[in-house]
Amino acid sequence: MDPATTSEPLQNDCEPEGDTATGKSWSSSVWSRWPSWRPTSMSLLKTVESKILACIQNDLWARFVTLPNQDRIWTLTLTNKMVRKPAEQAPKTPLVMVHGFGGGVGLWIRNLDALSRSRPVYAFDLLGFGRSSRPPFPSDAAKAEEQFISSIEQWRQSVGLENMILLGHSLGGYLATSYAIQYPSRVSHLVLVDPWGFPERPKPQPQPQDTEGQGPEPVKRSIPRWVKAVAGVVSLFNPLAVIRAAGPWGPGLVNRFRPDFKRKFEDLFDDDTMTQYIYHCNAQTPSGEVGFRAMSESLGWAKTPMLHRVHLLPPAMPVTMVYGAQSWVDSSSGDSMVQIRGQAHTRVVLINGASHHVYADQPEEFNRVVENICKTVD
Amino acid sequence: MFPLDSPWNISFAGCGFLGVYHIGVASCLLEQAPFLVRNARHIYGASAGALTATALSTDTCLGDVGASIIDVAKEARKRLLGPMHPSFNLVKIMRHLLLKTLPPDCHHRANGRLGISLTRVSDGENVLVFHFNSKEELVQACVCSAYIPVYCGLIPPTLQGVRYVDGGISDNLPQYELKNTITVSPFSGESDICPRDTSTNIHELRFTNTSIQFTLTNLYRVSRALFPPDPMVLKAMCKQGYKDALHFLKRNGLLNFNGPQRDRPLLVNGEEKKDCVEEEPKEVTAVRAVSSIEDHIIEYLPPRVHRALVEACMERRSLAQSLGNLLPVKMVSVMMLPYTLPLESAVWLTLRLLEWLPDIHEDVGWIREQLLKFLQRVVRQASSTVSHHVSARLFCHLELHHQQSLRSQFSSSNLFPTWMNEGSSSVFSRLDHYKKQLLSGGLCINMDLQGSFGTAVVSPDKSSAFLSVPLSTNSAEAINSS
Repeated sequence: MDPATTSEPLQNDCEPEGDTATGKSWSSSVWSRWPSWRPTSMSLLKTVESKILACIQNDLWARFVTLPNQDRIWTLTLTNKMVRKPAEQAPKTPLVMVHGFGGGVGLWIRNLDALSRSRPVYAFDLLGFGRSSRPPFPSDAAKAEEQFISSIEQWRQSVGLENMILLGHSLGGYLATSYAIQYPSRVSHLVLVDPWGFPERPKPQPQPQDTEGQGPEPVKRSIPRWVKAVAGVVSLFNPLAVIRAAGPWGPGLVNRFRPDFKRKFEDLFDDDTMTQYIYHCNAQTPSGEVGFRAMSESLGWAKTPMLHRVHLLPPAMPVTMVYGAQSWVDSSSGDSMVQIRGQAHTRVVLINGASHHVYADQPEEFNRVVENICKTVD
Repeated sequence: MFPLDSPWNISFAGCGFLGVYHIGVASCLLEQAPFLVRNARHIYGASAGALTATALSTDTCLGDVGASIIDVAKEARKRLLGPMHPSFNLVKIMRHLLLKTLPPDCHHRANGRLGISLTRVSDGENVLVFHFNSKEELVQACVCSAYIPVYCGLIPPTLQGVRYVDGGISDNLPQYELKNTITVSPFSGESDICPRDTSTNIHELRFTNTSIQFTLTNLYRVSRALFPPDPMVLKAMCKQGYKDALHFLKRNGLLNFNGPQRDRPLLVNGEEKKDCVEEEPKEVTAVRAVSSIEDHIIEYLPPRVHRALVEACMERRSLAQSLGNLLPVKMVSVMMLPYTLPLESAVWLTLRLLEWLPDIHEDVGWIREQLLKFLQRVVRQASSTVSHHVSARLFCHLELHHQQSLRSQFSSSNLFPTWMNEGSSSVFSRLDHYKKQLLSGGLCINMDLQGSFGTAVVSPDKSSAFLSVPLSTNSAEAINSS
């Protein structure tokens, strides 16, 4: 594991300025000329992130990993000082964590320390999210997915990992599965946390007749046309365009409508650090968001649902699916996965009292589950 | 499994007319897992949720409450403008129906158990009310909790002498953060009991604590919260609530499970564990046994609730209003709207004014108070900005003066643009005059201004232009010497 990359020395915050990212698109340079309508910038993101990462106690090495195509991936590497000493032990398979849509490495703050106790942990900002480069994405689903996947593979090569325990949350779970299908030899265990994009969009089924005894029931549960029209208009925009359009009100908007992020991390930060982090992650030029939009149909279904492809995973690859019991992600796709792949190497874990952000809602339980999974690997 | 070893709460989200959903949920909980309701430590509710919470905690017939909601919805739909029509007085209808349906001793039953979420008008803070001195007070608390400003009226109602508005504005799902709170919301999202829309949309909002996923159906539901849909749709929502609650019970193994004996409060840990072990197999069999008849259950609300709802829905057709639904009649009424509306509004406004008479004194006093407060705040803010502005400018000028007076002994004229110098000299003589007049107070004013400019609010430009002349100590000395 020798990082053959831009390895600035020492700890956190080695890169001078995020704005110099090479993959800067044309539109962002136009934007930067305007006096900032959106109170955000890469350096603000960096400031907030460093505030979050300051909570980490283990050895943290944060740097940009430059890919062959000059895209840069913001990467955290955590190692336990205590464990690193006896080098004669066989190095343990590292855990690689992939965040979900609109997130970044900072969201793992309640897990990084605990999980890095026994093995090295890598967390990176997906291409087009967080502090990583924000290149343009193709609007074709397969091509967009390919761009994500190849960025992960190139990242792995640059970092020099032979194999890994790959953990993905939400969108990250989708990408991790896709990656594991393409590069099965690199993944020793696939952990999917509330993964997005597994089930297929249900066909508009013929209304099952409401079998109520009393009287005819003219209940039309269909959705009025105007709602569909509104949804149609909304789907023309990038998913988080609202946050950017709101400009100076953006941070307030995030605070107002996602106070849960603040609450989830309130024992670490009693101010708006987390919501600010979310804001700065998403108020930048949309890039990964464009990729996500390309891969998803209206209202969040995947264009190419993963359940259609999971049979391509090698049958021997162990897969664990972790779901939050309260989450809107339907854990039944986990059961379908078990059916498709067979009981032997597929497991579904439900974590009680956890919403979609399982790792932040029930960090202890989540860390325990992941730790146990890791132990089964080596 | 829902942790029953510690006290739990039930919390109903505010949702306007979708409140019937809560009725479905509540009736399911009462029927399938009565201990869950009986032994709940608190039952919270905001807005429409407060109604169901009240009904649950006071053992009011849920069917009646459900029927009332549908009645109100029907009332709201009667007119062309729906709930926006001036004749629709939600507060009055609600108060009337609540007084009718709630049992006379409801406040005793509710005291300490029922928590109603309110938003205090004076500071916008959330308040949970637990104590009610009389039935009227309980009803008033419900009214306050559902009082959506503008939609319901302009003057917020009082409870125990304090003005409150809709609880949903500050906290739509009280105490949701406690682990042991069963949250109920008719919007699909991350509440414990909520409809599960088949959608994988990643986007989710939190409207004052209520999680709302961004789906088509939710969009529709939100739009229907204040503009009620057809009674049949409401009834379907009620059924949906029943179904979702059943699903919740099943998932947590609470179905037909008689609950831990609460009369043996807080068992010793070991004993408890044994208890659980004993309980579990029974549970499993219970679930199995039930699952066979469950499909059967699912289709039916409790008969009483069902009957009430059906009756509430039926009424509409039996009324001779079917005539009004004919196309020509409808068209005529639409076309007449510009003429009839002002007339009707006038009539209804007079009626409302008459109804308002008893409270008018108090309300007008309150309005005056609010206005005064508002004006005071505006004045304070304006003066603070002005003083800030002015003092900043004065400092600038002082600096300038200082610099310039160092260069030339006396040249206040240099401070002005050249066109002013070239102008009539009478301007200057007058300025000098002012200067001398203000000289004595000049420094005082300067210090005052640094503090606050509360004495007189002068527009910043004028004041600074005017005051900048005399406020230089150097130039003052110069005058004295000259």
